[in-house]
Amino acid sequence: MLGRGLWRLLFAALLALTASRASAQDVAIPPPPERWVTDRASLLSPEARRQLDAKLESYERQTGHQVVVWIGDTIGSAPLDDFAVRTFKAWQIGRKGKDDGLLLLVLAKDRKMAIEVGYGLEPQVPDATASRIINDVIAPKLREGDADAALDAGVSAILASIEGKPFTPSSSTPGREAEKHRPSTGQLIGFGVLALIFLVLFITNPSLAMSLLFVMASGRGNGRGGGGFGGGGGFGGGGGRSGGGGSRGSW
Amino acid sequence: MSKKVLIVLGIVAAAVLLPIGCGVSSYNELVGLDQQVQAQWAQVENVYQRRLDLVPNLVETVKGAAAFEKDTFTAVTEARSRAAQASSAAAQAPSDPAALQKFQQAQEQLSGALSRLMVVVERYPDLKATQNFRDLQAQLEGTENRIAVERMRFNEAAQGFNTRRNTFPTVIFASFFGSRFQEKAYFHAEAGAEQAPKVKF
Repeated sequence: MLGRGLWRLLFAALLALTASRASAQDVAIPPPPERWVTDRASLLSPEARRQLDAKLESYERQTGHQVVVWIGDTIGSAPLDDFAVRTFKAWQIGRKGKDDGLLLLVLAKDRKMAIEVGYGLEPQVPDATASRIINDVIAPKLREGDADAALDAGVSAILASIEGKPFTPSSSTPGREAEKHRPSTGQLIGFGVLALIFLVLFITNPSLAMSLLFVMASGRGNGRGGGGFGGGGGFGGGGGRSGGGGSRGSW
Repeated sequence: MSKKVLIVLGIVAAAVLLPIGCGVSSYNELVGLDQQVQAQWAQVENVYQRRLDLVPNLVETVKGAAAFEKDTFTAVTEARSRAAQASSAAAQAPSDPAALQKFQQAQEQLSGALSRLMVVVERYPDLKATQNFRDLQAQLEGTENRIAVERMRFNEAAQGFNTRRNTFPTVIFASFFGSRFQEKAYFHAEAGAEQAPKVKF
């Protein structure tokens, strides 16, 4: 009688212990994604999600590097560092032995994000670069509410730094918010000059202008059409590992 | 030779060979697990070294903007040299709990000195806004995170080894080898780190 009571007590204690641990620390890791971009929070427009996904799929085909974007809602009070590391480990992003994967985690409701870098990509994407991508590229656009542009620019910056192109932040001083619009007006002026030249050309030599326009339009069309996915298998982790490299941020 | 003798011989052979076979396989398994622990220890030393390398740069940068916080700098520099000493003496730490504890203590003192340095920096918003400092801060945060990850993985590897080592019958046989298969030591949670760390941005 006593023995059974004791066992029951022990069992209950054990159960309580595991339950409390689970709620405090271990947020369930989401199942491995089927695509390169997963948007559980409907943060992106479907079109932007599809384009980003195609971009990362063809990027893996070309370079072998797995770059995964996962957008969720919330992980509650669980520490993001730990969640990012465990998720990376569970999904095994990147190739085995090369560990050349990268995970961009965005939590829409928590307004937090993390870049977790595989061991093999740490030289190309050091913590400082990851931090700049989060704080200077993605966060400002998310604050403006333009998630499509934020993620697109963020992923472009990530891919550029993997390819070894030096990442140039918009500016280093706090006054960068104001300066940010300056290049865009510069671009506008450049565009205006181009349009003027085209107009002059159109008046003096209409046939040349038309053929130029045609070439430009078809060239752009090709660029956009490239890399559409041909029904091939979805995303699958390759056994890559990470060790807490990268950065975290919020918006 | 009669059938009986053959059976007895067979039993004797089995009695001798079976433990040897078991012994060889658990020896090999322990060697493999021991290697995993050693490799993971190298990772731990790596990430701590990374932090040691980062400190001089960080101190220089902060010094430029906050020259008169001399005590804080001295504390950091001293803690760093103690941690560097502890690192060079830590080769045996995985199987020596006292050595591991010493190593951990020295590193924690450096953690403490560094966090006081970061508190000081809060008083210098101009410094905090420079790109150089922001990069260094990102590197420091990343390094601290790596330390947490590699320490946890070291404990997992050590636990894997210890579990295998202390299971019957390996536990009897492991002690034949003296210190070769000594139980591995663990990192212990830092004081005050029982609750989940607050992620501060």
